[in-house]
Amino acid sequence: MMPLRRFAMHQPKSVAEASQMLAEFGEKGRLYAGGTELLLAMKHDLLRYEHLIDVKTIPGLNKIELKNGTLNIGGAATHRAIEHSPAVKENLPVLAQMENNVANVRVRASGTLGGNLCFAEPHSDPAALLLALGAKAHLQAKSVRRTVTIDKLITGSYETSLGADELLEGIEIPLAGKSQRAAYVKFQLKERPTLGLALVLDVDGDNIKKAKAVVGSVSPMPTESDKANGLLTGSRAQVEKQLLDAAGALAQAADPVDDLEGGADYKRHLIGVFLKRAFIKALA
Amino acid sequence: MSAEKKPDFHVVNHAVPRRDARVKVTGKAQYVADLKLIGMAYAKVLRSPYAHAKILSIDASRATAHPGVYCVVTGNDLEGLNPYYGHAVKDHPLLAIDKVRYAGEAVAAVVAVDERTAFEALELIDVKYEELNAVFTPQEAMAEDAPLLHEKQFEAGALRGFEGEVTAGKGSNICQKHHIKWGNVEEAFKNAAAVVEGDYYFPMTYAYAMEAYVAIADVTDQGVNIYSSAQHPFMVRHDLKSVFNLPVSKVRLIVPFVGGGYGSKSYTKIEPLVAACSWKAKRPVKLQLTVEEAMLTTRSDDAYTWMRTAVDANGKIIARQAKIFMNTGAYAENSPLVVEKSTNRCVGPYAIPNVLIENCSLYTNTVPASSYRGFGCAQVTLPGESQIDELAAKIGKDPYEFRLANAAKPGEEFFPGMRPFDGTLKQDLDTAARAIGWNTPLAKGHGRGVACSGSDAGAYPLTSTVVRVHADGSVTIMTGSTELGQGSHTVLPQIAAEELGVDFDKVNVVSSDTAITPYDRSTGASRTTTLMGSAVLEASREAIQQMVVMAADVLKVKVEDIQTVRGGVRCGEAQLNWSEVISKFYALPDGEVIGRSYIRKSGRFSALPVFWEAAATGVEISVDQETGKITMEKLATVGDVGLAINPALAEGQDIGAATMGMGIGLFEELIYEGSQLVNGSILDYRLPRFSDLPKEVELHLVQNQDGVGPYGAKGGGEASLNSMAANIANAVDRATGVRIRHAPLTPEKVWRALKDKNIQGSKV
Repeated sequence: MMPLRRFAMHQPKSVAEASQMLAEFGEKGRLYAGGTELLLAMKHDLLRYEHLIDVKTIPGLNKIELKNGTLNIGGAATHRAIEHSPAVKENLPVLAQMENNVANVRVRASGTLGGNLCFAEPHSDPAALLLALGAKAHLQAKSVRRTVTIDKLITGSYETSLGADELLEGIEIPLAGKSQRAAYVKFQLKERPTLGLALVLDVDGDNIKKAKAVVGSVSPMPTESDKANGLLTGSRAQVEKQLLDAAGALAQAADPVDDLEGGADYKRHLIGVFLKRAFIKALA
Repeated sequence: MSAEKKPDFHVVNHAVPRRDARVKVTGKAQYVADLKLIGMAYAKVLRSPYAHAKILSIDASRATAHPGVYCVVTGNDLEGLNPYYGHAVKDHPLLAIDKVRYAGEAVAAVVAVDERTAFEALELIDVKYEELNAVFTPQEAMAEDAPLLHEKQFEAGALRGFEGEVTAGKGSNICQKHHIKWGNVEEAFKNAAAVVEGDYYFPMTYAYAMEAYVAIADVTDQGVNIYSSAQHPFMVRHDLKSVFNLPVSKVRLIVPFVGGGYGSKSYTKIEPLVAACSWKAKRPVKLQLTVEEAMLTTRSDDAYTWMRTAVDANGKIIARQAKIFMNTGAYAENSPLVVEKSTNRCVGPYAIPNVLIENCSLYTNTVPASSYRGFGCAQVTLPGESQIDELAAKIGKDPYEFRLANAAKPGEEFFPGMRPFDGTLKQDLDTAARAIGWNTPLAKGHGRGVACSGSDAGAYPLTSTVVRVHADGSVTIMTGSTELGQGSHTVLPQIAAEELGVDFDKVNVVSSDTAITPYDRSTGASRTTTLMGSAVLEASREAIQQMVVMAADVLKVKVEDIQTVRGGVRCGEAQLNWSEVISKFYALPDGEVIGRSYIRKSGRFSALPVFWEAAATGVEISVDQETGKITMEKLATVGDVGLAINPALAEGQDIGAATMGMGIGLFEELIYEGSQLVNGSILDYRLPRFSDLPKEVELHLVQNQDGVGPYGAKGGGEASLNSMAANIANAVDRATGVRIRHAPLTPEKVWRALKDKNIQGSKV
């Protein structure tokens, strides 16, 4: 890590003003939403910006609230705030648990959910779980707003569909109620996870009506597979028999890469191990 | 603890709280990073992107013209200096001259008003390179068509510390060769009842310290003054004396607290470069490396070892043979000595009648390797202690019993020509085995290991010190030993307080300023308690002798009539404490007495090693057979330390060393992909964390007062590292039936081994 190069920090009062600043600074500017990834990259001289636009001070952008059967989390809410939010713990404990295991307490205290998603670092815990939960992202550019699903927000390694002057205002997560069973499990040796696996099931007695499995960290962006999700529905006994096939389908869709975290074959194997563990945990 | 009764000590052998604890935990302790001299400038370093390249040209004019920049220093600016340094071999230029030998090598330095300005100017330096073929492993370096890293023959450094001939720079990439031989290995292997043989790899590792390298230099007509994070200020002084061609008296090294060393801060690192910056900038200059830069400065030698070991029909080890190739990186640094030590350490601590160990280190285009805690011992204890278990399994013996039957006995000269063994391995191993419940039932998927190591400590006996007794009865120790976290500044005053009979709190330590403190060869090789501790003990006793003479003078009696008591003297009815003796002697409540001592290779220090550093460790691990992940269930350390001057500090050293060894066993490894170090940051280089600590830890000391140091003490703090990687590999074998010979045993590596075993149905 080197000394940070000189930059100016701006603190807009509203999302619209932040968007205006983004438009004005162009490639010389970037949103700052905690900086746990951004400042590291800047200290390693991998990224250079002359202007950082601090969205953490925008009033209301860090709120966490329940509204019409959905959980709404502002883009600037910190991991730690989500982890400790009574609304989250009560209504979506899997999210609180996942946040509780993001990086370390210093990162959680400073890093935000919006920052995590928009930086699109491939080893994101929240991205995998939110995709499985069917979360939507509300984006705003000046006065234009749009809503996209997580897979439409994150488009690649460090890549998003955000427009040049667009920012993430908040995340909306549907609350499925009592029939939902969910688990997020991960395998981590280093600073970032080798693999994260989110499994969200809709159950009726012994029958799994709907399933969504997402694997993260093993490839540039979190991945799901319709085939895997199909194999994960049916009676519990039947699904248990199909777990390995589902894992195979998910691994095929994810197409893991060889890197310092491990060989692709090892990661494919881990998908099987952790799909099974997620399944047991979700239904425990 | 030994059952033997210890003499009644007042201060030593007590776990007094460490001296520096309060200032360190409150952030008040001063390190070089905290220091600032008037008019001080800051340097930043431009590093080579290429592993091996000719430097065609360097144009620093734009950087020099950058606002706030004082000057730029390159290899072309060093005329008037002797820019090559190295205490073993003078092969290391303080900045690359004519060519670069590894990616990350310092090519130029910018000196500016602040660190950021210096950093910003780095990219304004235009360096033209012509890339050369490069080598990254010993095997590549030995190939017939391998490019040569060093073309010229080097001078040997004056403070070499090893006996071998300098091989470096003689027309090949060989940096150092060493071998030991006794008996007849060929014959012994022919007649053996059982033999094990295998190839092992010990990885490149980084001795992570919280403080990265930092130094401030102030070079003037009066001489060279340097504040540095160096472990061995007197060794660094010698290199600077040679760079600047000055008498020793004109080079001053001052070392405040050092934020961890583990070998990485031993010998000269950035001091010549920062001194050259000050010399050119004509002002004090500070250079503080980042952790990532420190990782491009030094590392451990990785080692490729082929080894075989044989037993006779009675289960007695009769022969061991090994060939080791070590990857020493671009410069020799301390590796010639590491080669010598790792060769010796293949044997111990077993009495083996037939031995042949051949070792060769090679220059490669990678970060230079140097000292690393354990000093070559961990590299060869991985194969050595693995083979003890492999052999025990092969002949159907319990590995713990097998060790006991073959370990060197107290007083045995198991290494021809060296000091007889001064430890008690049976007691060490017994204690470790008991602590982890060696014979109790094991849960499924769990495995245990007990292993040991015994190193011929590289502690060379050359040390001097001064103990000043003041007129108020307080004491100042002047020591060249550096406090780098090991606790020397607590242990040394404990010894002086014990001898002089004064309160521990009244003994102060002044340390590591070569202009003030007497010469001490190094703060390394676990030597300080044994050698500096002996010096403090002797200097305290010498001060007492002087005060006895003074007391006789004051009381107007014969010296023979003076009797010493704790903290003073008695003569008949009259009793004087040291304060009274000194005050009456000078007839004023002022003045002092200066006790001295000189330690050299003579008397009880004539046989080398000065001590054998011995320890045993015990582990219980479990393996997640699905992921390959190892969990440390139990750890026991047993430090065979003679006498712990401060038991809490001795145990602290053991848990620290064992944790560091555990890191190598489980996940630590510097990884090169092509010419680049790809995990050269602590984000990617996996260090042990608190959450990795074993679920149960027991720390034990064996204290038989069998060392040559004060009260029978000897060195500790490295040995618990050495056996850990082998111990983990042995426990994994016992848990899963797979033998892994390459550290670290990452989950993926364990998983692959398990997979191969399931496919082949046999051991890999």
